[in-house]
Amino acid sequence: MRGIRCKQTGLIFFPAFDWAISPTHPEREERLLYTRDQIFEEGIIDLPQIAEFTPSLASIHDIARVHFCIPRVETQTTEAHLIAAGAAMMLADQIVAGHIDNGFALVRPPGHHAMRVVHGNRGFCNINNEAVMVEHLRSRHGVKRVAIIDTDVHHGDGTQDIFWHDPDVLFISFHQDGRTLFPGTGFTYELGGPGAYARTINIPLSPGTTDESLLYITDNLILPILEEFQPDFIVNSAGQDNHYTDPLGSMRISAQGYARLTEKLRPDLAVLEGGYAIETALPYVNMAIILALAGLDYSYVREPDYWPDRFKETSQRTEQVKRLVDELLKHWKNRYATQAGRVKIVNGYYEREKIIFYDTDYIEEHQVEKLRICNNCTGYLSIESEANQGYGQARKVLCLSVPFGACSKCRNEAADLYTGAKKSVKYNQIYLQDKSSDFLLGYDTKAGKEWRR
Amino acid sequence: MYIGVDVGGTYTDAVLLEQNQIRASAKVPSRKNLLSSIIEALDTVLQGVDTSRLNRIVFSTTMITNLIAERKYAPVALLLIPGPGLSHTYYQFNTMTRILTGTIDYRGRETVSLKEQEIEAAMAEVAAQGFKKVGVIGKFSPRNTSHERRLELLIKENHPDWEVELGHLVGGQLNFPRRVVTTYLTAATREAFHHFLNLVRQALAQRQITAEVLILKADGGTLPMENSEKMPVETIFSGPAASTLGALALTSPGETAVVADIGGTTTDLALILSGQPLLSAKGARIEGQLTQVHTLAVKSVPVGGDSLLERVGNEIIVHGKRMGPAYCMGGPVPTPTDALRVLGLTTLGDQARASEAMAILGEQGGSCIVANRIVSLVVESISSQINQMFQEWEQEPAYRVWEIMQKKKVRPSTVVGVGGGANGLVGRIAEELGCRSLIPPYAAIANAIGAAVAKTTLQLSLRADTEQGSYVLQEEGFEGKIESNQFNEKIALDIVKERLIQMAARYGLDVKPEQLEVTRLEVFNMVRDWHTNGRLIDITVQTPRGITGRIEAGGQ
Ligand SMILES: [Zn+2]
Ligand SMILES: [Zn+2]
Repeated sequence: MRGIRCKQTGLIFFPAFDWAISPTHPEREERLLYTRDQIFEEGIIDLPQIAEFTPSLASIHDIARVHFCIPRVETQTTEAHLIAAGAAMMLADQIVAGHIDNGFALVRPPGHHAMRVVHGNRGFCNINNEAVMVEHLRSRHGVKRVAIIDTDVHHGDGTQDIFWHDPDVLFISFHQDGRTLFPGTGFTYELGGPGAYARTINIPLSPGTTDESLLYITDNLILPILEEFQPDFIVNSAGQDNHYTDPLGSMRISAQGYARLTEKLRPDLAVLEGGYAIETALPYVNMAIILALAGLDYSYVREPDYWPDRFKETSQRTEQVKRLVDELLKHWKNRYATQAGRVKIVNGYYEREKIIFYDTDYIEEHQVEKLRICNNCTGYLSIESEANQGYGQARKVLCLSVPFGACSKCRNEAADLYTGAKKSVKYNQIYLQDKSSDFLLGYDTKAGKEWRR
Repeated sequence: MYIGVDVGGTYTDAVLLEQNQIRASAKVPSRKNLLSSIIEALDTVLQGVDTSRLNRIVFSTTMITNLIAERKYAPVALLLIPGPGLSHTYYQFNTMTRILTGTIDYRGRETVSLKEQEIEAAMAEVAAQGFKKVGVIGKFSPRNTSHERRLELLIKENHPDWEVELGHLVGGQLNFPRRVVTTYLTAATREAFHHFLNLVRQALAQRQITAEVLILKADGGTLPMENSEKMPVETIFSGPAASTLGALALTSPGETAVVADIGGTTTDLALILSGQPLLSAKGARIEGQLTQVHTLAVKSVPVGGDSLLERVGNEIIVHGKRMGPAYCMGGPVPTPTDALRVLGLTTLGDQARASEAMAILGEQGGSCIVANRIVSLVVESISSQINQMFQEWEQEPAYRVWEIMQKKKVRPSTVVGVGGGANGLVGRIAEELGCRSLIPPYAAIANAIGAAVAKTTLQLSLRADTEQGSYVLQEEGFEGKIESNQFNEKIALDIVKERLIQMAARYGLDVKPEQLEVTRLEVFNMVRDWHTNGRLIDITVQTPRGITGRIEAGGQ
C-alpha cells in the first residue's frame, strides 16, 4: 500500500458523545470533546489533504470472525462498539481500494485489551477494533501480511492474544513495563506461539521514558523488523496515554514525539486506543498525528506547558534501551530457528494455560488453549474457557478456531470436535469459527439451539 | 401586499404578491445604471397600485458576489492570532497578513498573552502600506473575545479612521481559517453593500415607498435593511436561496425535492428535504473560498442552456463558458438550447438554425441523433451531481450513536425546474432520476417570489463553562458571569431564549418563546478525578424558519 503520495488521508472522527462506560469513568462522553474543538477550530477537515468519512456499522458476522463473545455477540456489544469497529473497517476498505493514501480512525470505545474470548469488559475494551478490521481485510480483500504496531502505554494484550499463533500478523507493542501498570504483561519473553515465533515482539519501557528513547527504538528495532517482514498493510494502535500528562501512564512522550513516531511508522491505518489526559494531551496529540499522516507540517503543534528539551533522557536509560533493542533483535533474527526445546509438544498438540482478569467487569477466566501442530497449515486452535463473575455460577465454553488457509484435516478435526461437544453437558456453549471458509457457528447446550453468524 | 426583487447579474426580477397570489411580475435587464433597472422593475409591478398598501419589500442580490470575483474592493489587512497548531505557513490569504503572539485554548483560557509592542509594530506596517481596513481574528476567539477586543481598542486609539472587523462577531463557529476569510470578506464588501443599499433607498424614496424593507440572506432568512449593514457577507450570496424559496412557495408542502435553477451557463442545485431547504453544515464557498456564511446547501454545475458545445474527435464537449445566445437565437456557436429546439423540447429560436447548429457538431446520423446525444450529456452531468448531493448529505459526519443509527437513504420525489433553461431539460433529468418533474407557473421569476415570501430569521448561541463561571452569547459578543452554582441547562436555555426574543424585538419581530427552535443542545459534564467539576453547555436557538405562504394558482 505504499507509493508516491498523491492521495488524501481519510479521517473518521467518532467521539461517541452519547456513550460512556459509566458517568465518571475515563471512557466517557467528554473524552474527545476538546479534541473535536481543536480539530474543528484548526479547520483541518477543510484541507485538501484530508477527507472525512462517516462510519458504517460492523456486522455481527464481522465481530464473530474474530471474537468468541460469551454467550452472544449481541450481549457483549453496543451500537457504539459496532460503529468503532466499522469505522476502522471502512477506512481500511478505502485504503485497499486505493481511494485514500492512509487513514486515522479517531474513535471510541477502544479495543486493544479485548482478547479472542470475550466474557466482559477488560481495560475499557470489549471488541478489538483493529483485529476485526484486519480479519475483514484478510477475509474480503485477500490481504496476506499485516503488521500491528501498538503504541499505547498499556500492553496490547488483547491483540497479542488474538494473533499469538498467527505467523502472518506481526504484532509489536511498546508500553510501560508490566510490573508497573495494567495489564501486567508484555515482557520480552512473550514472543508468540510455536508456529509464529518472534511474530510477537514486546518492548517494555521503564516509567519516565522520553521521545528520544522511543524514536531510537523505532529507528533501530521497529523499522528494521518492518523492513524485513514486508507487510502488505500496517496498522497503528495509536494510544495516546504515553503522553507526559496522562493520568494513568507515567511516560514522558510529547505531541511532537507522537508526530515523529507516526511519520516514521507510516501506518496505512491508525486506530485510536487509550489516552485519558483529555484536555492536556488529546487535542494536541490527535492534531499532531493527523498532520503527520497527511504529510503536513506539524512543527507548530505544541502543548501549552511544553518546550523543546523539556525532557532529557538519562544516560542510564539510554544504555538500558540499547540493550533491550539488541536482545529483541536477536529473537527476531532467530525467528525461523528450530522450535525444538522451545515449547513442549505432546502428541502433536501444543497446550498452554492462562488466567485472565477482567478489571472493569471483575471476571476471572481460566483458559486451556490447545493448538494442533500441522505441517500443512498453522493448525486449528481449541480453547476451553471457564469464567466466574462475582459469586455467580461458573460458565464453561469450548471455542474452536480454524485459521485462514487451514488444511482439510484441521478443518475436519475442528468440525468433528464441535459436533461431538454438542452432545456433552460439560459446556454451556460451543463455538466453531472457521476463518478459511468464513463459516461461523454457535450452539447452546441447555437450549439445544444452534445459530449461524 | 409584498414585493420581492431579485437583482441578478443579467436580469432584475420583481413580483407583487397579494394574499399569496401573484398580482404582477417584471423582468428587466440589469443595466450599468442599476438604479434605473430597479425603478423600472418596481414601476412595472406597481402599475395602478396604491403604494401605501405595501406591507413589505424584500431585496436579494448576487451583484456583490461578482465584485468579489473581480476583486473590486478596497484592500484589507489581516492581523491574526493563531497560536500553536497548524503551521502558520498555511495561512495564505492573498493580502497583507501579520501573525501576532497570543493564545486562547479550546475552553477560552488565555495560555499566552498579547505583546503590545508587537501589535504597535504591526499597526505601523499596516499604516505604512496604506490600509484603512483591518480584520482581527484569533483562534478560539468565540470562546474568549478579549484578545480581539483588546486589539480593536488599540487600533481605534491609534487609527480612529480605520475600519476594524472582529472575527468572533462574524464567524462564531469553530473554524479559524473560515473565520479569517469571512472576516476578510465582511471588511472587503461592506462599502459595496452599503452602496447597493443606498441605490435601494434612492429607488424607494423616488417612488415614495415607505413599507418595511428587508434583505434576503444566503440561508433563506431576511434581515431588516438597517441591520443587514452589519453583516454584508450573510446577504451577498442570496441568489440561490431566492430561487429555492421560490420553488418551495410554488410546490406542495412536505415534499422532498431537488430544485434545479438552469441558467445560461450554470445550473444551481438545492435540496428540499420534507419541505425544508437543506442548510450547509459548515458554510458557503464564495468564489472558491471557504467561509462561515450560513447558506443553503447549493451546488453550482457549470452547465446551462447557452454553454458552448464543441466537437473534439468523436466526442462532443460541454464547456463551462458562454459565447453568446444559442445559435438558433442568432448566437455564434451551437449550445444545448439548439439541441432542445431540434427535439421540440423548447419553442425558443429558429428551427432551421438549430438544425444547422447540429450539423456543425456532427456529420453523420442527422440532427436528431446529435441533439439527443447532447441532451443526454447535459442531463447526465446534472443528474450525477444531484445524486452526489444526496450522497454527500447522507455522508455528513455524525458524532453520536443515535445520529448514525437514524441515517437513512433519501432520494427526491420531484425535480422542480426554475430559471430560463428549465423547460426542455427538467423532464429528462427527472426521468433519469426516476422522479416526477415540475415546472411551476412563474418558474422564470421564482427568485423574486422567493425573496417576497422569505421570513426574518435570527439565531443566538450560548456557551457556558460553569467551572470557569462564565458564558458567552456568541452573536452578540456578550460575556456574562455565572453567579449561582445552580446554573444548569434550563437556566442557560431561559437566558438565550429571553435574549433572542429581545434581539428579535429590536429587529421588529414579534416571537413567542414557544415558537423558538433549539437547533443545538450539548451538555457535557466535566469530570476530574472521578468528580463532576462543572458543565459545558452549548445551545443555539433560532426564530422559526420557512416562508410566509405558498403561492396559489390564479392572479395576474
Ligand atoms: Zn492504554
Ligand atoms: Zn492443518
